[in-house]
Amino acid sequence: MARLLIVEDEKHQRELYAMEFEDEGYEVDQASNGKEAVDLVKANKYDLVIMDIRMPEMDGIEALGKILSRDKKIPIIIYTAYSNYKSNFMTWTADAYVTKSSNLDEIKGKVREIIAARS
Amino acid sequence: MKLSIIEILLLLISDTAVVAILFYLYVQYHIIHTRMVYILIGLIFVLIVIRAALFFLGNWLFYRRRINAIREVVEEFKKGKFTQTYHAARIDNELDEIVNELMIAGKHLDSIMTAQKKEIDNFNELYNSIIFSISSYFIVLGDDDRVLFANDGFYKKFQFHREEIYDRKIEEIFYFVNARLKAGIAQVRLTGKTEVLEKTHLLTLNKVSVIADIKISNIVVKDVSQIIIIIDDITRKVRNDYQISLMSQISESIQKDDEIDRVLFTILTGVTSGSGLGFNRAMLFLLDDGELAGKMAVGPDSFEEAIEIWTAASSFSQDLEFRDIAAAEMRAGVDLLNRVLAARFPLREDGVFTRALLGMESILIVDSWNDARVTPEIRELMDVKEFIVSPLVAANRGIGIIVADNKFNNAPILKENIELLSIFASQAAMSIESYSNLDTVRGEMQKLSERQNAIVESEKLAAVGRIAAHMAHEIRNPLVTMGGYARRIMQLPKERSKISKKIDASAEIILKECERLEKTLSNVMDFSRPAKFIKEFNNINDVISDTAALLKNLFLERKVSVELELGSDLPLVKSDFNQMKQVMLNLIQNSLDATPTGGAITIRTGSDGEVININISDTGVGIDEEDPNVIFEPFYTTKVTGVGLGLAIVKKIIKDHNGMIRVANREEGGAEFVIRLPIPG
Repeated sequence: MARLLIVEDEKHQRELYAMEFEDEGYEVDQASNGKEAVDLVKANKYDLVIMDIRMPEMDGIEALGKILSRDKKIPIIIYTAYSNYKSNFMTWTADAYVTKSSNLDEIKGKVREIIAARS
Repeated sequence: MKLSIIEILLLLISDTAVVAILFYLYVQYHIIHTRMVYILIGLIFVLIVIRAALFFLGNWLFYRRRINAIREVVEEFKKGKFTQTYHAARIDNELDEIVNELMIAGKHLDSIMTAQKKEIDNFNELYNSIIFSISSYFIVLGDDDRVLFANDGFYKKFQFHREEIYDRKIEEIFYFVNARLKAGIAQVRLTGKTEVLEKTHLLTLNKVSVIADIKISNIVVKDVSQIIIIIDDITRKVRNDYQISLMSQISESIQKDDEIDRVLFTILTGVTSGSGLGFNRAMLFLLDDGELAGKMAVGPDSFEEAIEIWTAASSFSQDLEFRDIAAAEMRAGVDLLNRVLAARFPLREDGVFTRALLGMESILIVDSWNDARVTPEIRELMDVKEFIVSPLVAANRGIGIIVADNKFNNAPILKENIELLSIFASQAAMSIESYSNLDTVRGEMQKLSERQNAIVESEKLAAVGRIAAHMAHEIRNPLVTMGGYARRIMQLPKERSKISKKIDASAEIILKECERLEKTLSNVMDFSRPAKFIKEFNNINDVISDTAALLKNLFLERKVSVELELGSDLPLVKSDFNQMKQVMLNLIQNSLDATPTGGAITIRTGSDGEVININISDTGVGIDEEDPNVIFEPFYTTKVTGVGLGLAIVKKIIKDHNGMIRVANREEGGAEFVIRLPIPG
């Protein structure tokens, strides 16, 4: 069973994603900012990280850098309410960039795709 | 009274003769008786008569001689000469004394007169030499205003003979006598005071022209009032002053006037100088596409017109401005201007125009009828014997020529005229050069200004982008949460209960609203994100039909009719179909919002071969702005709920398609949008 880490500062949103991905059959851990995410990645092994950008304490960009400097192979999807920085984020070597939407089909599809590709 | 010696001698002789006769008679006849007495008395009587006769004869002789002398003296007095001499043998009578005194007085007077005459002669000589040596020319008019006298200078300067001007009126000497001169003469006659007319132009019948200060004085000779008119030739001085003033006028004109035509006109007016200073006519040709093309001409069409101009501007008073002359010049010479504007001379090595241009030197043609350098075309245009061609040289290359002549007064072209022309030619060349530089600078400024506007606009758009990105982020997050949970509600296992259905329906409403808001956000972000178009050849008519179909229900709902007048065979334009659809959607929605119930929206398309035109007009409220085009500014909105990006997006898309969009209020009410899209070559 693939294990995901969802990094999102908004509690209700994070819980929504957790529920949705658990329903999809994934094991889901949650982090409420970049710092927590880095700590959790150090302690555990994840198949994929879904990372928000704008977060208190440590934002998604910094966390992305720290995680990648530790483990270059871990797939990370940027999942953000910013719709217009896609090309920038892609250069920061995230595996995918998905704009947040109330319809989770796109992010679910992306996660499936990446997990399938790795196994 | 005294008797002369002869008289006394005669008396003695006569007395002696009587005594001798008496003595003879007595001795011869011894008769002394009564008869003798009678004879004696008779003899004595005869003696008395003889004596009286002798007396009168003597007196007559005595006086006659002296009277003659006196008469001759009087005659000489009358003539003013005293050369007669009379010598009495002996001063023994009063008459001789008087005659002698008269002679002495006469001699004395004669010496005085001679001395005075000599003095007068000297004075006359001095006076004459003054008159001849002064540069002034003068004429004297009698009380009937006819010429009594003119000095040699006048004859020489104006090339007249005495008989040509004697007893003529001044109108018969000068081509035109300006009002100031006439009024001046009348004034002087009235007041007796001297009048001075400064800088007056005179042109004689034989076409000698001067600018002069004219002094009019009154002199009274034998109770007859005469007018003396002294003419001081100041042509050279005025010409110099005028040239300086013209130079400043021209440079002012260059700075001030937007149009090169006005500058050129000013320069040519300077060459012709209005009145009596420069040439009669001047023409300007500029090198244009390998030909000398006529650009400007100044000068009258006929001698009558020339006189008209010169009369109007015949005075160079201080307050007379250059523009007055220019105005007079402007009226005349329309025919000349038209002919010059129509003239084009291809560069020909043998033509005088080309030679002056390429050789960069003035060429004087003295006899154009027989000069091989004058081509038939040039001869026909100029139609004058003598003319001068001066090149316009800028940055060491010929850019054109000025041609000038004295067609109307036939004055020979002098060295000073040529100098004048070359001054103006160099001025003209500089003007034209600086003007073309100015033109280039203006063009660059325009480009810069456009670029700056574009930068300002893109800055605006960038700011919009930053704001929009931030707003979108802040709004999208709660939307995502709300919508996500609503979706979860809907995904809950279905119960067939009524309440479950209601919950489902409510969740769906929440979800739909969230989706709508998310879509709005996407639109905003579409605006600020650099567009990536898929440009294909599209028919705009299809875009419009599609959009109208999409909005059909909305039209029905608002009770607004829509009319499509789509041009047939509309050329395809290279465009992004979806972007164009966005444009039409936004524009039609905008019109719909502005149009009250019962109104109409008309969409027309057409093409002129270079662009296709799209017109969208409505019967709505129109745009309450001085410049209706402000509605294309980002965030401009009159709607309570609008963001104000719809029309800004439209403008951006049209611009990205190299098109143009404008809006204007229609006279009959409502607004009209006009879009132009280029048809690919």
